[in-house]
Amino acid sequence: MNTPDVSCVITPGPGGATALRASVGSVLGQSLRAVEALVVLAPDTDDAVRAAAGALTEGAPERVRVLTTETPGGFAAVRRNAGLSTARGTYVLVLGDGERLQRHACRTLWETGERTRADLVAGGWTRLTGDGAKEQEPPWQHALFPRSRVVSRLTDASELVVRDALVTGFCLRREAVERHGLRYDEDLEHSEIPFGPRAASAVRRIALVRRRIVSERAPADPGRDLAGLVEAHRRVCHLLEAQGLTGLLEERERAFLLDRLVALVRTFPTLPAAERERLAATAARVLPESVPEPVLLTLPPVERVGVRLLERGDADGVLTAAYALRRRGTVAAPLVQGRDGRVRWQGGDEDPALDVTELGHQHRAFGELRLMNRLTRYEADGGRVLLEGRLVLPDHTGPGPAPTARLEFRVRDGARTFGFPVDELRRDATGISWRARADLSRVLRPLGTRDTLWDARMVVEDGRVRSVSDLFAAHDLVGPGDRSPARPRLGRAAGDTWQPYVTLKDHLALRLEARHRPARTTRRLVHYATHFRPARRARLLLRALGRRRDRLRSRGLKVSVYHSWFLRLPVRRGTVVFESHMGTCYGDSPRAVHEEVRRRGLPLRCVWSYDGSREGFPAGERLVRRWSWRYLWTLARAEYWVDNQGFPQHLRKPTGTTYLQTWHGSAYKRMGFDERRVRMQNAPQRERLQQAVHRFDHFLVRSEHDVRTLARAYRLPERTLLRTGYPRNDVLFAARTRDEAEGRLPRGPLAERLGLDDHRQVVLYAPTFRGGPGRRKRRRLLLDAARFAERFGDRYTLLVRAHYLEAASLPVCPPGTVVDVSGHHDTGELLALADVLITDYSSIMFDYALLDRPIVLFAPDLDTYAAERGSYFDLREKAPGPVTATEDELFAVLDSLKAVDTGFRAARAAFAEEFGGYDRGDAARAVVDTVFARHLSRTTRTGEDRR
Amino acid sequence: MSTGRDVFIVANSTDELGGVTGWMHRMAHLLQEQGHRVHTVGVHAAELTMALPEDPGYPVTALYPAHPPTPWTPKGVRDRLRIPARRREAARVARKRQAVERLSEIFRAARPGGVVIVTQVWAMEWVGEADTDGLTVIGMSHESYDYSRASHRYRWIKNHYAGLERWLVLTEEDADTWAGDGMNNVGFMPNALASLPPVPSPRTGRSVASIGRLTDQKGIDMLLDAWALVAPERPDWTLDVYGAGEDEAALRAQCTGLGLDGSVRWGGRTDDVPGALARSSVFVQSSRGEGFPLALMEAMASGVPCAAFDCAPGVREIVRDGQDGLLAPAGDIGALADRLLRLTGNPRMRDAMGDRARTGVQRFSEAEIVRRWEELFALLER
Repeated sequence: MNTPDVSCVITPGPGGATALRASVGSVLGQSLRAVEALVVLAPDTDDAVRAAAGALTEGAPERVRVLTTETPGGFAAVRRNAGLSTARGTYVLVLGDGERLQRHACRTLWETGERTRADLVAGGWTRLTGDGAKEQEPPWQHALFPRSRVVSRLTDASELVVRDALVTGFCLRREAVERHGLRYDEDLEHSEIPFGPRAASAVRRIALVRRRIVSERAPADPGRDLAGLVEAHRRVCHLLEAQGLTGLLEERERAFLLDRLVALVRTFPTLPAAERERLAATAARVLPESVPEPVLLTLPPVERVGVRLLERGDADGVLTAAYALRRRGTVAAPLVQGRDGRVRWQGGDEDPALDVTELGHQHRAFGELRLMNRLTRYEADGGRVLLEGRLVLPDHTGPGPAPTARLEFRVRDGARTFGFPVDELRRDATGISWRARADLSRVLRPLGTRDTLWDARMVVEDGRVRSVSDLFAAHDLVGPGDRSPARPRLGRAAGDTWQPYVTLKDHLALRLEARHRPARTTRRLVHYATHFRPARRARLLLRALGRRRDRLRSRGLKVSVYHSWFLRLPVRRGTVVFESHMGTCYGDSPRAVHEEVRRRGLPLRCVWSYDGSREGFPAGERLVRRWSWRYLWTLARAEYWVDNQGFPQHLRKPTGTTYLQTWHGSAYKRMGFDERRVRMQNAPQRERLQQAVHRFDHFLVRSEHDVRTLARAYRLPERTLLRTGYPRNDVLFAARTRDEAEGRLPRGPLAERLGLDDHRQVVLYAPTFRGGPGRRKRRRLLLDAARFAERFGDRYTLLVRAHYLEAASLPVCPPGTVVDVSGHHDTGELLALADVLITDYSSIMFDYALLDRPIVLFAPDLDTYAAERGSYFDLREKAPGPVTATEDELFAVLDSLKAVDTGFRAARAAFAEEFGGYDRGDAARAVVDTVFARHLSRTTRTGEDRR
Repeated sequence: MSTGRDVFIVANSTDELGGVTGWMHRMAHLLQEQGHRVHTVGVHAAELTMALPEDPGYPVTALYPAHPPTPWTPKGVRDRLRIPARRREAARVARKRQAVERLSEIFRAARPGGVVIVTQVWAMEWVGEADTDGLTVIGMSHESYDYSRASHRYRWIKNHYAGLERWLVLTEEDADTWAGDGMNNVGFMPNALASLPPVPSPRTGRSVASIGRLTDQKGIDMLLDAWALVAPERPDWTLDVYGAGEDEAALRAQCTGLGLDGSVRWGGRTDDVPGALARSSVFVQSSRGEGFPLALMEAMASGVPCAAFDCAPGVREIVRDGQDGLLAPAGDIGALADRLLRLTGNPRMRDAMGDRARTGVQRFSEAEIVRRWEELFALLER
């Protein structure tokens, strides 16, 4: 072979001969043929590896070369450098221990290098997960390879040096290696960490190619050679500093804390005590100069605490922080509230790094808080066990004077528990130490089959509240010496030993095991009976039957049965099916229409559809679950469909059925066939939407704006439009009338239920839907509720209502300042309750304007939103209140709301008139009069004499 | 530079009216000129045929005289007992075996270094079973990732192309997306621009041209909506819609409904594309989906600047937004109208962009693309 295109340098490591064979095998399997494998051995390499290397060369002498360095020992860097010096290929690539090249890796790298003339070509890599069963990409890798590209400045692909991206999966032009004298640092174990960034900053052109190059990199082990790791990181930092890349330097420091140190903290519960001590001592020695304070303070609170304690060498504190990291929301250490009101981790007198105020634990009381209960001792003497532990208490709350406690064992995935009282409870300033003794064999009596796992927890009660906590333990606290005999109800043959162990979630559990003769024999027999061939057959059959059953429940089948059979059924006169927001709530206009029907006593049979939970729906009404067989049956036979969004698109409307589409809001953003997404759909998809829309017989509009936008966008014929306004807004008119007559206070029963007091004004924050089609996701709000509470907690109560397709994730705030009302079914009630509305583009503003109360628009992304989704009018021009783009602007407006609001009176009135001209407070009556005219008897025909 | 290989180009059909078949014959011609021995194979001969030269100069083989029957799988008990269907299926399988054998015969005649180019994934059903020993098989997909994703071809590509040495999509962006989807053996190769008209359009006619079949995919309905926004501002301009297709009647009705009869001219199907482009000053494309649109390249070769929906990576690749044309977000009619207004209202910009377009589009010239194919052949041999 002449000059190979790519030389792959392989240095055997702890993986030994197997890893070497895997790596070399992947090189020989490359689709690019001109690739050589260069195996570099140390003189003291063990014989198995040497033999494997020899066999590999013999198999392909042309393509595998073996090289032995002169000096024994040293780090892998010595052999890598020897490999770099000996390589002949146009490009060189260094593979780590056991790493494999993807089949087309070299071809991709070579081709990209030739095409782009880059000296460094980098691609993606994956590494094994902790247990070695799966592979995963590092989480930041996707951001580095959005597209294949060529970069010449490191700032264009910052992950290359910020994260340790260039530890594998890249190749260098050999000529560039020589020109820049690139070599690994021979005094470092982690020599690949500084090598990559050094190469990247030396060469002029870097090609990034979005292909996977290397797989099966060894799993990350953050505890291995911590001192060396820190040194390697420092060298990269020096490099960045020398290049003047201070922005990247800061990012790198932060990434190091998160990727390496926080990862190390997280592993603590799984390590033995001696190892924890050793790591903490090393950390105390090497970290103090390497953790820059300002960067540390940018970390989230618990991560920050973990790193700080690691830096101090506090092994036990790190373990505690690790629990807090692994179980979010748990109070893991005693919290101390200083005189300045800040809440600190225990022992953090003035240390800002240990300030955990923003976790919000101080706003929650005993019983609401998840407290860490740490098991410190577990001793078994036959059936008798002794457990000791300590429950952490923050200083602001705790149980009453005479608490009692029980230790419970609860069956996994079940509700059965066995328990016994805790003998001793000693409360002190920062927690409760407890001790319990019990005869495990006597107290804990499982059946013996299907209930072999039992989780431990403790319940503390003080007569008013109870607090349940899992028993956390380090993984080496219990072992084989702590077994106890077990007495299952099915007899000793079902199991004979309790083995305590610590779960992957770090809490204590008991496992029923079979260690002695009768039980082991039974287990074997049972295993045979459930695994021999007929049993396997039977299982397959069961699974097939299960699939059959699932098919019977599938929507496809339901739709076809609906169309071919149900639609032939006669219509049941007087039946109405109501649905609001696809069954998610009992509210909006359908509810208003329904209540009007009830109030007037119309002889109609009303059925409501619900999706998921019946909660919030009226108890006395007939309910059907959305997409159930009964739902389809009812739809097929109903005389009226009433809905505000759309019954399932695939369902045809039965002939003779009247469909009242109340719709759910006037439009700001483009809808229907005006939407870009819909326009780009293919003809059948658009046809389906059009068919679905053509089912509507009546469509409610609030103003001519709706006629121009919604009616046009959905191509609705003029005869379907009912110019009545929205029935859901009738309550707003009632509220306004009441306001004018008797004032807004008292607020009524809903306010009481939400815990709103009269001296704080109620601000409703209702942002719009930002997602696309798909599952409901939890999103962070654009408005920082915690900041709001801090600033306005004494003047305003913030009600947060997420869109019905989404859910909000809210920070913990002082009680009474922020309330999540997303689950509340009737938006009308909330609007009537609110004194101020904050929204962005939600149609809620069109409704709220009818109340003539202040509206503030908070739209940080107004221009991008309007550009992306398209809008029907310029919001800034017609806004019913001030339009704010930043939180500070918003807060400034809220600070002087009265003054600002007077300037917007006229604009708001014009807004209400333009977008809600037909809303007059009698929409429900008018709609019922029109749609259900046939059912109005003489007594109920009250709407007639109105006109 | 060329060593003269045996190149087999396999497509769904030998002479079907369509872009890929046209591409196959053009490519065959070019490779033949390079000194390769080309053999084109179609799975079947089509009914609706395109005009081919009498003697193409290379062998053309159709494995079936007409479209082969699709495989049959019984559904339910009753279907399983259907004897005639079973016999038909058996006949189909036997016939397919013959076709595969015939294909293997053709391939066996190749000398070492031969290449099989599979232009459409469906043909892999036969190529995959044929004997391709000693040959390099290169797959191709002439559509964007999103378009494949929405169709059954996505599964076919994943099944048939994953094991190949190399398969090609039209743009690097598509290749990246496929690679992110686990297909590491994907490369990219743009289509070639057929010819450069000797004289560019004078860009004096006050006309905006659209060339393409009148089908839903080409989005002429959206173009008319956009033109309804442009026409009142540019009363002296006309929109010339060239092409024919199933939606013609509906589109004409829409045009009348929008009151655009005065400013829209229906040119019908045209064979003289450069002539049509020479009469216009702006080209517009409003497609819902595209691969690597030839019409756009032809317009740019004539020096006519384009306004187009940014509907596929191929479009972004050809038109560099703001430099040699203007792109609008896909489906945004207001934006497309805005681009048209900008191009029709500013002759200086029109000229600058048109000239840049004519130069820029030559990076897809036939010579350049053939060079890239030669490079690919060499790469796969390394």
